[in-house]
Amino acid sequence: MKMKKMFLKPSTLVFLLFALVLSIVIPRVSQGYSMMVMNNALIFCVATFGVSVMLGLGGQLSFATVSFMGVGAYSMANFCSGRHGFKLEPMPALLITIVIATIISFLLGLVLMVLRNTYFTFASIALVQVTWSFYINYKPLFGGPDGISGVSNFRIFGWTPANYNEWFYVLVVVLVIVSLLVERIRRTQLGRSLSAIRDNEIAARTLGINVYMTKVIGFTIAGVLAALAGSLYAMHGQFVSGDMFTFERSTTYIIMAMLGGVNNTFGVIVGSILVTMLPEWLRFMQRYLQLIYGIGVILLMVFMPMGLSGLASSLSKSVKRRLKKAKKGGAVS
Amino acid sequence: MNPILRLEKVSKSFGGVVAAKDVTFSVMSGTIHGLIGPNGAGKSTLMDLISGISEVDSGKVFLNEEEVTKIPPHKRARMGIGRTFQTPRFLQRSNIRDNLLLGTDLADQMGYFFSYFGKKGSDFETEMNMYMEHLNFSLDLESDIGTLTFGQRKQLEVVRALLTHPKVLLVDEPAAGLNNAEIDDIMSLLNYAASELEIGVLLIEHSMDMVMNICEQIVVINFGQVIAEGNPEEISRNEAVIEAYLGREMNA
Repeated sequence: MKMKKMFLKPSTLVFLLFALVLSIVIPRVSQGYSMMVMNNALIFCVATFGVSVMLGLGGQLSFATVSFMGVGAYSMANFCSGRHGFKLEPMPALLITIVIATIISFLLGLVLMVLRNTYFTFASIALVQVTWSFYINYKPLFGGPDGISGVSNFRIFGWTPANYNEWFYVLVVVLVIVSLLVERIRRTQLGRSLSAIRDNEIAARTLGINVYMTKVIGFTIAGVLAALAGSLYAMHGQFVSGDMFTFERSTTYIIMAMLGGVNNTFGVIVGSILVTMLPEWLRFMQRYLQLIYGIGVILLMVFMPMGLSGLASSLSKSVKRRLKKAKKGGAVS
Repeated sequence: MNPILRLEKVSKSFGGVVAAKDVTFSVMSGTIHGLIGPNGAGKSTLMDLISGISEVDSGKVFLNEEEVTKIPPHKRARMGIGRTFQTPRFLQRSNIRDNLLLGTDLADQMGYFFSYFGKKGSDFETEMNMYMEHLNFSLDLESDIGTLTFGQRKQLEVVRALLTHPKVLLVDEPAAGLNNAEIDDIMSLLNYAASELEIGVLLIEHSMDMVMNICEQIVVINFGQVIAEGNPEEISRNEAVIEAYLGREMNA
């Protein structure tokens, strides 16, 4: 029993070491464009954690990630670009943005969560279309098709990341905090309640879980994480425009979560990085990129529905089983 | 003494099918109350109506003399109506610990916020072990729920329901699909729940042996209506019951 209570599993430890080494090595060997792509992957990962909470724990497929990324990005852009004649410091602007995103996603959650499963998913697609047409058409708040440029860079205690490499460290810190927060959800009552709703709604009700309100809370958390990613995106690129928040974009967040393993913290990180980096690595065959991508998604769904982390855990289980068998066989003979 | 659970003229129909008609009976704390009847008599529907999964067409449900008819199921659960199902309902993708903690979560009622920020809940393992003493299998809390047999899952669902600290426990056919040893264990656990924990247990069961052995009171329904009520001896001699239920079984 004592072993079970160990703080970290060996596989977790290996991953953490690996991640630590990578976070030291990556910014030393790359710079400029490739560093920017890597940073984008980490930013998208923050939003993908929202998908993980909604889809992985709650079993609710929502495409609305990009809508809330837009809320975060445009909120930062309005407060920190001086286009309304004032400029806030990035940190207070970020706090205000989080508050705005919480309110908006909570209110939208109250409305959307009246719908069940597939109906909810369709409504979330509609929401993406609605927000997207606002983002590219309404100039006073969203700058229209040209977007908003001149967003302030991130700044904390007077320090500003001077290049993409320094940004990388900022994002690693944010990602560590976000993944710990989400991991905590999985281990406490909220995560269990969401899983109960996913696996058996009737059982959830008879176990005292307010199904509707719990889903609304899940939706709000996903919305806030997406908005945080959006704010980071705005400060990182110092530019926001509507083509980041299209329906096509929204599907990539779901693929990121599914590829790595929707219910696994490391899976979410690996999935986000792979899906963002792959188009760059496959640049030489750009003409076939969409084709490869599509086939890849189908294969993923058929052969690894639980993503890379699911594959890893079933592999490790089968290895353990074989070892056990081998041991038993050895003892008999 | 007041009944812990009371139904007053509860009726429910689905389309033209009458599932419950003017059903009235009460369950006392600390007793096991049998609810029997032929297949399709409306027993499970009654449990749905009591736990609030479906709404009554007319009539009233009282928990501890407080009317709960209009209260949604999750609030009824928080007020103390616990339940198990014919087919156990667990989180298939979670481990045994998380599945059982759902019960403790309900008993603690601390809310997502306090749970998230680390407020300590009740000691679930000590309590669980108390219930597990009645059952003849050991648990590895970290393994998947799918590693348990059907019978073990059915028994464990009763454990989870007890972890919620219910005042009333609705148990839907706990013995179906279990072997004799497992039935003995689950009976011992239900007896413990009634006599030691003072829970009012409402038991749906087809195994007449079990019902006659364990129940203090039995209510018999057929076509959604109560056709007899009384202690096991009275029920076994009741002609309406013999004709509607036992008789049919004997003829078969």
